[in-house]
Amino acid sequence: MGRDTIAGLVILVVSLALLGLTFEIHSNPLVPVSPAFYPRLVLGSTAFLSFLMIVFDVAARRRAPPAAAPAKARPAKPRYDMVAVMFAIFTVYVVLLPYLGFRIATVAFLAVMQYAMARPRTRRAWIVLALVASIATAVTYYMFEGYLQVLLPRGRWTDF
Amino acid sequence: MFDLLGAALVNIVHVKYLLPLFLGTLAGVIGGALPGVTVTMTIIVALPFTFGLDPLQGLAAMAGLYVGGSAGGLVTAVLLGIPGTPSTVATTFDGYPMGRNGEPGRALWLGIWGSFFGGMLGGVFLIFTTKPLAEFALAFGPWEYFSLFVLALSMVAGLVETSLVKALVSGFIGLIVTVLGNDPMLGAPRLTLGIPFLEGGIPFLPVLIGVFAFAQIMSEVEKSGGAGAMTQPANSDANLKVSQLKVIWEILSRPFLLVWSAIIGVWIGVLPAIGGSAANIMSYDQAKKFSKHPEKFGTGIPEGIIASEAGNNANVGGSLVTIMAFGIPGDAVTAVMLGAMTIHGIQPGPLFISQHPQIAYGIFAAYIVAHPIMVLILGVGARWAMRIMTITKSTLFPIVLVLCVIGAFALDNSMDTVYVLLVFGVIGYLMVKAGFPLAPFILGAILGDQIEINLIRSIMTDPNPWLFVTRPISGLLLLAAVLSVVFSLWQHKRTQRRLAAAATPPSDEDIIDF
Amino acid sequence: MKRIAAFVLASLALAAGSALAAYPERPIKLIVPWGAGGDTDVIYRAFQPFFQQHLGGTIVIANIGGASGTKGAKEAKDSPADGYTIFAVHDSIHSTYWTGVADVAYTDFEPICLVSSTPSILTASPKAPWKDFKSMVADAKKRPGQITVGATLGSTSHFFPALVEKAAGIKFKYVPYEGTAGRMNALLGSHVDLGESNLTQKGKADAGHIRFLAIATEKRSEEIPNVPTLKEEGVDVEYAVNRGLLAPKGTPAPVLEKLRSACGAAAKEPGFAKAMKLQGTLVHYLNAQEYTAFLKKNDQVNKDLAKELGLLKR
Repeated sequence: MGRDTIAGLVILVVSLALLGLTFEIHSNPLVPVSPAFYPRLVLGSTAFLSFLMIVFDVAARRRAPPAAAPAKARPAKPRYDMVAVMFAIFTVYVVLLPYLGFRIATVAFLAVMQYAMARPRTRRAWIVLALVASIATAVTYYMFEGYLQVLLPRGRWTDF
Repeated sequence: MFDLLGAALVNIVHVKYLLPLFLGTLAGVIGGALPGVTVTMTIIVALPFTFGLDPLQGLAAMAGLYVGGSAGGLVTAVLLGIPGTPSTVATTFDGYPMGRNGEPGRALWLGIWGSFFGGMLGGVFLIFTTKPLAEFALAFGPWEYFSLFVLALSMVAGLVETSLVKALVSGFIGLIVTVLGNDPMLGAPRLTLGIPFLEGGIPFLPVLIGVFAFAQIMSEVEKSGGAGAMTQPANSDANLKVSQLKVIWEILSRPFLLVWSAIIGVWIGVLPAIGGSAANIMSYDQAKKFSKHPEKFGTGIPEGIIASEAGNNANVGGSLVTIMAFGIPGDAVTAVMLGAMTIHGIQPGPLFISQHPQIAYGIFAAYIVAHPIMVLILGVGARWAMRIMTITKSTLFPIVLVLCVIGAFALDNSMDTVYVLLVFGVIGYLMVKAGFPLAPFILGAILGDQIEINLIRSIMTDPNPWLFVTRPISGLLLLAAVLSVVFSLWQHKRTQRRLAAAATPPSDEDIIDF
Repeated sequence: MKRIAAFVLASLALAAGSALAAYPERPIKLIVPWGAGGDTDVIYRAFQPFFQQHLGGTIVIANIGGASGTKGAKEAKDSPADGYTIFAVHDSIHSTYWTGVADVAYTDFEPICLVSSTPSILTASPKAPWKDFKSMVADAKKRPGQITVGATLGSTSHFFPALVEKAAGIKFKYVPYEGTAGRMNALLGSHVDLGESNLTQKGKADAGHIRFLAIATEKRSEEIPNVPTLKEEGVDVEYAVNRGLLAPKGTPAPVLEKLRSACGAAAKEPGFAKAMKLQGTLVHYLNAQEYTAFLKKNDQVNKDLAKELGLLKR
């Protein structure tokens, strides 16, 4: 299966599932057009278009056998491992943020993320990492709390 | 009108507004100069800083950022041969060769002054047409708005270089985002998937922040992992000294080139959702077509730099017209500005300029004043900017992500919007990986509610569906929508034939730029 | 031991006292559930400086429009009851509750005070074929259900034309346009025939961009003496939109007290009265006690109205 076929199938399934859910929408007599009308229009069209996507992809693959595709010279292997690690760290940060509070969570996040992206090898690099983490946190915290009237989350566990 | 503009100009040079304007322009120049950081990402990062400001302060900062960002990319383009933002792609064609031919100063300043004059011409257009266009927009009933939105979506889908079907699917996924949660007519919950937070609908700004920030950052990370600098350090002892008067004369002695590039830039800006990179490339292309010596383009001639830079800065003026007169974002940057305005309770649209004259004329004034500031910053800081570009990714990206979180959180002081950011960060990245262009998605997510409201409104006013076609403005807009789809199909056929001959894959860059 | 307990108690009391004395120590969010430039927005933007002055703190107006004004109401209801979120309410909270648009009722809040009262005016688009109220009624009788009215569904701008409809024995067709700003847009562009407006739109009426047909007051207004009252036109309808301030239920009493006294003082400022005159609005101050009774009565009136108009959903 090609990339477009997989993507098309996912979207087709999701839009059909949501389309099924539109039958549970209640309408209000104040608006003669049901609130399900437009969602059905959008979801139906999406389902149709994703179906087209699959058809085109399959047809294109029949016409040109996939042998042609891998012939492309790739500059470098994409670093998907790094992408996954970054998403994981970010997710943990976002989940822990309300429990640890902005200051603790952000210092930790900045330090761990820098470490994961480029492991410091010299003493100087370690110092830079620590400084970036603490200064960036302090500056954003004081700037937003002090001057910009944005109150950042306090920790539910730490109350800090 | 001129008294209002004059008052606004006097007002904007007060420290209260000048400081955010200056900082915004500076941020724009830096973000624009950093390859891999677009103006969109810069404005997303700057967004939370504007929440605590008064509306005009925030919008002045954003206008400055937009102007600075459109020009900032030229430093990298000229000195390194890498476009600092996608809207300076064409600037590299002649700017870099000229720099390498021993005239980096001339190339740089041609770009700076080209941006300045192009932007100023865009400003003239902005000031003179916003009000008449807004008055014209008053004649737009729900049918016309519906058709206008359909046109915007089909245009952005048609412009994408990948498949039209995928672009349309992307746009519809954006529309689905607005269908979830509640119905915009009475706010009744629908399709909440059992998540109470969704009953308020999915807020659009964290969606935009998540999609753009992650698509961008992860694409960079994918290329070379997390290590390394944004760019290699440039040859910093290049001589940038040049006679300013000579450079300005070089530009002003080509009035046709300058004005035509500005017109193209403005026009592309006015059309919804096309953006600076198209303005940049099309201006360059037109300059080449009208030139007496097209073969010299690409070797480092001034026309190439002037056209491309005047085009992308004039584009900013055009985009601002669309958002202020119609309330439709011309690109992702103005989409963020739209979000910032709604946070402050200002709804751009036909009545905007008459209801909020201080803010409307304040934006004009900020736009104008941002240009000399931009020249100043670039003139003083070009060399210094080259040093910033060696910042490592592992320093920059984590901080950018923290600012995205703050931006999402501060929207309504709730973690829910941060979760939206995360979820759409993942969705956006997956969409890029599956080869979906992001621009239609974002436009769909922005316009979805308005499309639905105007559709229902028109049905409730008169159930006759033919009105969409028989009302003249609406009919013309729909016709234009159909034509843009047909045209793009034809163009796809053509490029595919050419591609089959040349066998070069299209670049991924256009997917991320809006 | 006793002494220690007394000390602890005293310091606690002191701490509580100082926490209270400190209120407001950060900006207070005033939720206006309609778009900027609408009537509610304009009135509270005029009220804000006086209120701020008497409260001794900053008030930030947050326009949270959408869903017939219930989006902002929900947001206000769900906000922490700490006095840092207050809600600019008008009669629509009763009508949207009884018509089933939203589950937020006035009982979800603590009253602070009533601020103003704005009489409604039935307004026509400039391209509408009639010049006065009587010919509109005649036309409506000829083609029932075809004259379009822009209205925030289930809200005051829906109830007011519905009352006219009922009293005059005619039938309109309603098209949803949120808030006065959106409705004015539709009237100015002639996308609807009729809509509710008020004296704030006098400038547009003088310039001929919209046309006032009749005002829903007892007597003609001094500002627009040439516009007849609905009563003169043989339609017994009096209608005004009343605006007040509420705080989420559970807001501490001392905080409420502070808000109430500041609101009262601000409403009595001559500067505010002057600003309201420009808005075609009467300052209609009621203290918390009177306002509570007013809300209760008004809620019943709206329930009855919804029932009479066939819109009651509860």
